[in-house]
Amino acid sequence: MKSKTSPPRNPTLGEKLHHLLISQEGVLFVIMLVSVLFLATRTDKFLTVDNLLQQGRFMTEVGLIAIPMTYIIITGGIDLSVGSILGLTAIVLGWTWQELGFPLELAIITGILSGTIAGFVNGLFIVRVGVPPLIMTLATLALYRGLAEGISEARSARGYPEWFFQLGQGEFLGIPTQLWLLIIAVVIFGIILARTRLGRALYAIGNNETGARFSGLTVNRYLLFIYTFSGFMSGVAGYIFVSRVSTTRSDMGTGIELDVIAAVVLGGTSIFGGTGSIPGTIVGVVLIQLLKNGLTLSGVTSDATIVVIGSVLIFAILVNNFIQSRRSEN
Amino acid sequence: MMTEAPLLQLAEINKHFPGVHALKNVHFDVRRGEVHALIGENGAGKSTMIKIVSGVYQPETGAIQLEGQRVHFANPREAQRAGIATIYQELGLYPELSVAENIFMGHAPTKNRGFFQTIDWERMEQGAEALLAELNIYNLDVQAKVGTLNVGNRQRVEIAKALSLDARILIMDEPTAALTESDVEQLFSIVRLLRERGVSIIYISHRLNEVFELADRVTVLRDGEYIGTNDVADTSESELISMMVGRTIENLFPKQAAEIGDVVLEVRNLNRPPLTRDISFSVRAGEIVGLAGLVGSGRSETAQVIFGVLPAESGTILLNGEAVEIHRPSEAVRHGIGYVPEDRGRQGLVREMTLRENTSMAVLESVSRNTFVNRAEERRLANHSIQQLSIRATGPEQIVNKLSGGNQQKVVVSKWLASNPKLLIMDEPTRGVDVGAKSEIHRLMSQLAAEEGLAILMISSELPEILGMSDRILVMREGHLVGEFSRAEATQELIAHAMMSEEARRTSEASA
Repeated sequence: MKSKTSPPRNPTLGEKLHHLLISQEGVLFVIMLVSVLFLATRTDKFLTVDNLLQQGRFMTEVGLIAIPMTYIIITGGIDLSVGSILGLTAIVLGWTWQELGFPLELAIITGILSGTIAGFVNGLFIVRVGVPPLIMTLATLALYRGLAEGISEARSARGYPEWFFQLGQGEFLGIPTQLWLLIIAVVIFGIILARTRLGRALYAIGNNETGARFSGLTVNRYLLFIYTFSGFMSGVAGYIFVSRVSTTRSDMGTGIELDVIAAVVLGGTSIFGGTGSIPGTIVGVVLIQLLKNGLTLSGVTSDATIVVIGSVLIFAILVNNFIQSRRSEN
Repeated sequence: MMTEAPLLQLAEINKHFPGVHALKNVHFDVRRGEVHALIGENGAGKSTMIKIVSGVYQPETGAIQLEGQRVHFANPREAQRAGIATIYQELGLYPELSVAENIFMGHAPTKNRGFFQTIDWERMEQGAEALLAELNIYNLDVQAKVGTLNVGNRQRVEIAKALSLDARILIMDEPTAALTESDVEQLFSIVRLLRERGVSIIYISHRLNEVFELADRVTVLRDGEYIGTNDVADTSESELISMMVGRTIENLFPKQAAEIGDVVLEVRNLNRPPLTRDISFSVRAGEIVGLAGLVGSGRSETAQVIFGVLPAESGTILLNGEAVEIHRPSEAVRHGIGYVPEDRGRQGLVREMTLRENTSMAVLESVSRNTFVNRAEERRLANHSIQQLSIRATGPEQIVNKLSGGNQQKVVVSKWLASNPKLLIMDEPTRGVDVGAKSEIHRLMSQLAAEEGLAILMISSELPEILGMSDRILVMREGHLVGEFSRAEATQELIAHAMMSEEARRTSEASA
């Protein structure tokens, strides 16, 4: 013990780089680079600016929801209802506009608000009643989807005005509009997680909820907030989804929760809570999207694509586990 | 009967654990068909001794003789085979299995069916009924799941299980701790029944009245040493208490004289049954108030009522004379209360995080600017803590898990000092801490009270610590406050008597 008390010194640039490279995010980033280079040799349609920007468009919804999902998984929780909230938001948006005659701006706000309330209800039951997050959100996964289907009565809303498509189909400074939104959200919420009291509290809760409570942290308030936030972001993603595909259907976002959770876990967030980061999550989101796209372009059938993605997931997690356990031994 | 050779005899038993000489040349013997009580304070070595008798631990030196034969138990199974069964405090039953299955766990009667051996359910259930009948228990359904039974019935199942193994010596570790009064009565009659049948019982208890009601002889241990064995008929409560506590207080705790100021904390009729009943007391600035009592007497629970973990059902908490409502720990922290909990790993720290992150956890608000945590400020705080409490760590970024127990405890203390509390509740502040860290924590407590006027409420199970550190001593028993002593009048005997004796409660209630 005592021999270790040498005075602390600032790490050199080389050490910093080495540290970054063997971090969870670093390892994942290298895997991503290798995959991209490999896919680029298989087809020349993959590594083009147009194609990559297009992929950015497709991954925004998963990316936006993955941010609050990272927060939630860091606390040791889970939210399975995000896809259903996305669908519910889309339906409320279309229904209030087309059936109730709301101005479209108000319909958008109402849709996102209903998503936020759906998340708040999740949080309320988890915090106040003590329902485990897995059970609560599994129940609302069904419940919110059912609501969406009930409201829509299997009709789809279409015929939106031109300006409505700007977010989902337009560009700003040569980059898909919604990708700007994702980039801004990643920066802001990445910094919030890494640097603010909220972020610190989430890590403390995930590592030891009792200890956090005994230290006077307002654990329940934080938990309620992140599930509400998850509903809000799923709502925003729902709006973008509708804007991108020009129509509203009640089955929108079905299964998206699995893509989101896969990206978060691939990004190095422990499913048991306590560790994780937004940069890791985003690398996870990008990696999965690029693999899907690159393999399809290379002429791999969609069944085989899923198999490859699953294998890469397992491989990436194994490599990371190996490196992290070697690292903690040192 | 008295001249007969003992059934079980232990001689010159020694056992060490890292840093502790748990048993020092201990003697012990049990006669056929007697109830032999084993008493002593927490940490006296009772548990270690019964674990040696039941084969969980092996002694380093000394001999165990069973019916005059030298025996050696390498594991609990061998002791069981020799006829020694233990009923532990935390009952070792399978809640999802039936009474009969539990009784015959590991030796169920079987029958052959061609190639297979299957459990003979009929014989097992009849056997279970017969065993229970031997204990005069006729109202227990042997097919019921154990999880559906109350504590008293579960204990009866444990005893039947021991008998199914033909136990000749039954060890009971605090068997009445969780029982209701009527269950205690029934347990006593079972114990007497077994004694008549020639089963010997080693009976561990903190309750002296039980010793007098039930036991034939009583052996006292203190700090791992054998103090003596008396016939219960020839001894008295006060003699046993002085045997248990007759320890000299080493001058380990150089307590500074402090100027006692205004009342900081006052609680009136605080109530949250079962372990906090009508508690009223006060703590003044600069004062260290010791809260003594046996394990399970409600000390920690009362502290947690004040800290908002287990909010009070009724009663008043006043801080600096003002009534406050505390429903959760965050409110207690805001009112200037700190709590160093008993369970350091689970409640006191987030051990996977760094020293820096732990020391600032209760003051995150004040080390943040516009909700951004100021890491430089945190590091300054952590370095200050490392110096103030001489925490042996590589620096602020060390993961708390990698520190020794004593240094982890110092991190908990530093977390609360950073919050600049008016009242600090310390629950077993030096448990599991090495001697050096212990005296440093004591020095710090004394200094904080004397120089900064901090009010400290200290819970401890070590009487020397209570006597050495406290300006005033409160004693709890079964959820009630049963005694209050000034530093001058307190002695180990007085406090131990209040902690353990039924009479103390009655007299304090009568005088109240």
